[in-house]
Amino acid sequence: MSEKQLLKGNIAIAKAALNCGCSCYFGYPITPQTEIGEFLSLEMQERNLAYVCAESEIGAINMALGAASTGAKVMTSSSSCAVSLMQEALSYACSDELPIVLVNVMRAGPGQGYIFPSQGDYNQSTIGGGNGDYKIIVLSPSNVQECIELTYKAFYLAQKYRNPVILLADGLLGQMAEPAKLFDNPYPNIDNTSWILNGSNGRKSRSIHSLEPSQLKLNQHIFNLHKKYQAIEQNEVDYEEYLCDDADIIITSFGSLARHSKAVCNHYREKGIKMGLFRPKTLYPFPYKRLNELSKKTKLFIDIEMNLGQMLRDVRLSILSNAQVSFIGKPVGDWLKKEELINAIDNIAKEQYASI
Amino acid sequence: MQVFSTPKTIKENSSFTFCPGCDHGVALKLVAMVLDELNLQEQTIAVASSGCSVLLYDFLDVDCIESPHGRACAVATGIKRAHKAQGNNKFVFTYQGDGDFASIGISESLHSALRGENITAICINNTNYGMTGGQMGPTSTLGQITSTSPLGRNKEYHGFPIKTAEHIALCDGASFSARVALYDVKNIINAKNTIKKAFEYQKEGLGFSFVEILSSCPTNWKLSPQDSHKKIEEELSKTYKLGIFKDIKNE
Amino acid sequence: MSYIKINQDKCKSCYLCMDVCPKKLIKKSEKIGKTGQNVAEFIDTNNECLGCSQCALVCPDIAITEVVKE
Repeated sequence: MSEKQLLKGNIAIAKAALNCGCSCYFGYPITPQTEIGEFLSLEMQERNLAYVCAESEIGAINMALGAASTGAKVMTSSSSCAVSLMQEALSYACSDELPIVLVNVMRAGPGQGYIFPSQGDYNQSTIGGGNGDYKIIVLSPSNVQECIELTYKAFYLAQKYRNPVILLADGLLGQMAEPAKLFDNPYPNIDNTSWILNGSNGRKSRSIHSLEPSQLKLNQHIFNLHKKYQAIEQNEVDYEEYLCDDADIIITSFGSLARHSKAVCNHYREKGIKMGLFRPKTLYPFPYKRLNELSKKTKLFIDIEMNLGQMLRDVRLSILSNAQVSFIGKPVGDWLKKEELINAIDNIAKEQYASI
Repeated sequence: MQVFSTPKTIKENSSFTFCPGCDHGVALKLVAMVLDELNLQEQTIAVASSGCSVLLYDFLDVDCIESPHGRACAVATGIKRAHKAQGNNKFVFTYQGDGDFASIGISESLHSALRGENITAICINNTNYGMTGGQMGPTSTLGQITSTSPLGRNKEYHGFPIKTAEHIALCDGASFSARVALYDVKNIINAKNTIKKAFEYQKEGLGFSFVEILSSCPTNWKLSPQDSHKKIEEELSKTYKLGIFKDIKNE
Repeated sequence: MSYIKINQDKCKSCYLCMDVCPKKLIKKSEKIGKTGQNVAEFIDTNNECLGCSQCALVCPDIAITEVVKE
């Protein structure tokens, strides 16, 4: 479609959303994602699309819920503490099986925290803060190019599985500009004519609801959702492996921080130490199986996150007792630098190698 | 000549699950009659809320979505705007209780009215949280005994109730705001005409239209259906005055 | 001859229809309905029904399913 251009992550996400036919955006300002709403405000009004400066994130996500029921491609974006406000509607959207794309450009918490970059919403995204047995697909881009790719994918998976999808970016990605190519949406549209609400003209009326007073039917509904989540876990796991095949040490990290982790791998490779990087691109479904395979031939895993060990739980669940797992983390602020990481890894290696 | 029959927008073989004598049934019947008269059934999306009104989709033969508690006007906003963005003009209304519309959802409700969303909201005001067993709500009147105001609502201790229709009337984006009651035939006919007007204003694209319906809750008021209506006529309609508080066509 | 039809399966015995009938043609029947009370029945031996529909308007359960006015 076009050559590479210098794009901020937030703008890249907004442009990709427009490119793949997003016709509804509802949002409320919060740093560091506000540019998404700012950019779309003019673009969408000029195209006569639906754009509402909502009264709150609660308003925004519920407008998204309504709009999604019409079959429209719907997006809202927010950040951390404000995504907390959306948890109720996300639980409803999962039960109602409504496709909503939610972009969370993470900032630091807990509570209001600050606008510093952070990866503190891994648990909020993958486990969720809403009630009931539900799952949300969580995609984790690591650079601006992936912001574009995974925005397309988010809309596609939302429609394909009739489920909310979270694009989990962070303050660094949202605010950083780097060259990226805005290509065409590679995914097909999914036929939704069998379930959308557009008036019962020529057909029986439909309803979309989560309330179910029959215990039998509610159990069945939740089992059906569970089957869908199993299909998602079967089909949609996505990850990047960098020099993992022969690695004695594998770093696990996600999002933009994984770029530093890659640089760290190169550093150790140059010194003759076989280090690799394993980066989940889908945080849910998490690549448990592949990581488990890798753990059978790798001695040491080092999980690195900009939080105090949230993905660490999934990493440990994958590796079990097959290998040693260490953790390097910092909750907020300047991304862990290559030098800091090398220093920390040197210390871990000294301890761990003594024991293996 | 048949002068009354079950509205075709009421689902065949459906039975309301409301308590005996509850005005919810009358209100829903009127909504269905008006949808019939305006021939809106096949282009309507109704938004149900939490509380006694939640099972709307079991009764009304129109496309229907349940919203989280209080969010009906936000959900309706999304539906209306999404259809408009796809070039379709659909009829969208919410059916909510007073707790849903004016307490937990007052932000969504007021801002939809302020934005002039071209939707209609029907709010059943029965001065308590009915489904959970009659707790004090935003509209419980001063002195009203409920399960959470056992000594009666006290302005110093509990604060004041809200006059919803008057608040909506203050919103520039509202085209119509009225309060009606259902305690006798004359008022029922007036309520039906008022709902019809509110629906017509949406059809004409005039902005947010609103009807608050003073309704009985015999079970939680611990009164017979007849005495409940008497209470509305003699007491409640004095606190909550009936009438039209905003009509964009009369400005 | 005007008349109404009552679906007694829907009647919840609130008796609002009885109060509103100008000719008092709606009465409690012997039949016990779903709320455990006697359901309403329409008895018009002298063809007095006006077909005014007031009963149908006040019925909260649409148990009065039809009103015919002649």
